Amino acid sequence: MISIHLTQALGHAGDPGIAERLHNLSHRGCVDYLHVDTTDINRRRQRLTSEQGVDCMITLPRDQLLSNGAVLELADDRAVVIRISEQQWLKLRPRDCAAALELGYLAGNLHWREKFQDEILAVALQGPEVAYLERLHFFLNDGRAERAPV
Amino acid sequence: MTETGVITGAGPARIGIGGPVGSGKTALIENLIPVLEERGLEIAVVTNDLVTKEDAERLQRTGLISPDRVIAVETGACPHTAIREDPTMNIQAAERLADLFPHTSVILIESGGDNLASTFSLDLVDYWLFVIDAADGDDIPRKRGPGIVRSDLLVINKTDLAPHVGADLGRMVQEGDEVRGGKPIVLTNCATGDGIEQVVDHLCHDVLFGY
Repeated sequence: MISIHLTQALGHAGDPGIAERLHNLSHRGCVDYLHVDTTDINRRRQRLTSEQGVDCMITLPRDQLLSNGAVLELADDRAVVIRISEQQWLKLRPRDCAAALELGYLAGNLHWREKFQDEILAVALQGPEVAYLERLHFFLNDGRAERAPV
Repeated sequence: MTETGVITGAGPARIGIGGPVGSGKTALIENLIPVLEERGLEIAVVTNDLVTKEDAERLQRTGLISPDRVIAVETGACPHTAIREDPTMNIQAAERLADLFPHTSVILIESGGDNLASTFSLDLVDYWLFVIDAADGDDIPRKRGPGIVRSDLLVINKTDLAPHVGADLGRMVQEGDEVRGGKPIVLTNCATGDGIEQVVDHLCHDVLFGY
């Protein structure tokens, strides 16, 4: 297996200049992709195997983060582009204000990452959904909250 | 890049070491230092304690590491807050060590003793270990605390005590595998050094590239 060090984000796949080079490399099958889980995008150092089987050791400076489409290598014979898996959300609709307060307290107490969308509390899943549902079963069973469509 | 192929521009790697009070985090660091040094790494350490500097002072007294390469953070509150919710104090300590010792290759950041729910922010560390004590009960892994489930490497320490308290190490590893989705687990005995090379092998493969 080939091993390479990737030490910085050179730009984005959509950037002028980079996009054209990627297009040309893609005709020769030389654009390789690294799939990164959403829970790992803040890691500056990690080791992943690319789609084409290249062992990639990533060591980014502290002021850089991985992003979807980030280009970590752009050479004459190979480009490496980051693909980040889509964040999965668990959306919850509390029954009333009292339930919303309780639900917000629970989510904070469990250190869940969440965002608010009008009356919906959306929880960013950082593990199996069933583990989140286990913590919510009292809310869901007695109707204080219900799952909202994703 | 250095002659050994090591990337230096990104500064030192940061590795978190968390786990409950008394699980052996400081003892693990005492064991890791000589093995990491043998492999050519320069080390610095940040310790976290609630209201004392005990862990830092313990390391400074060992003679394993220059005392000025160890900085203590006193969290003053729940230790997990300083490694997850607001890791500013620890980031500043790590940056200070990196500035003072620019050839440092790895900074070990020991959390204050906490419960099974503590996890590290990836803004602070690149990789983190969670240390549990085999004698605290062989049901710990299957209880699925976030520290058990999310850590990059689970260390089951004090394996020598397991037979004395009826703890089944095989069961701990098996149930740990099940809840961790195959992420690595290492058994250690910091009193004898058993398992330490394995821990360092994982660190070198996963985050300390080139060593």
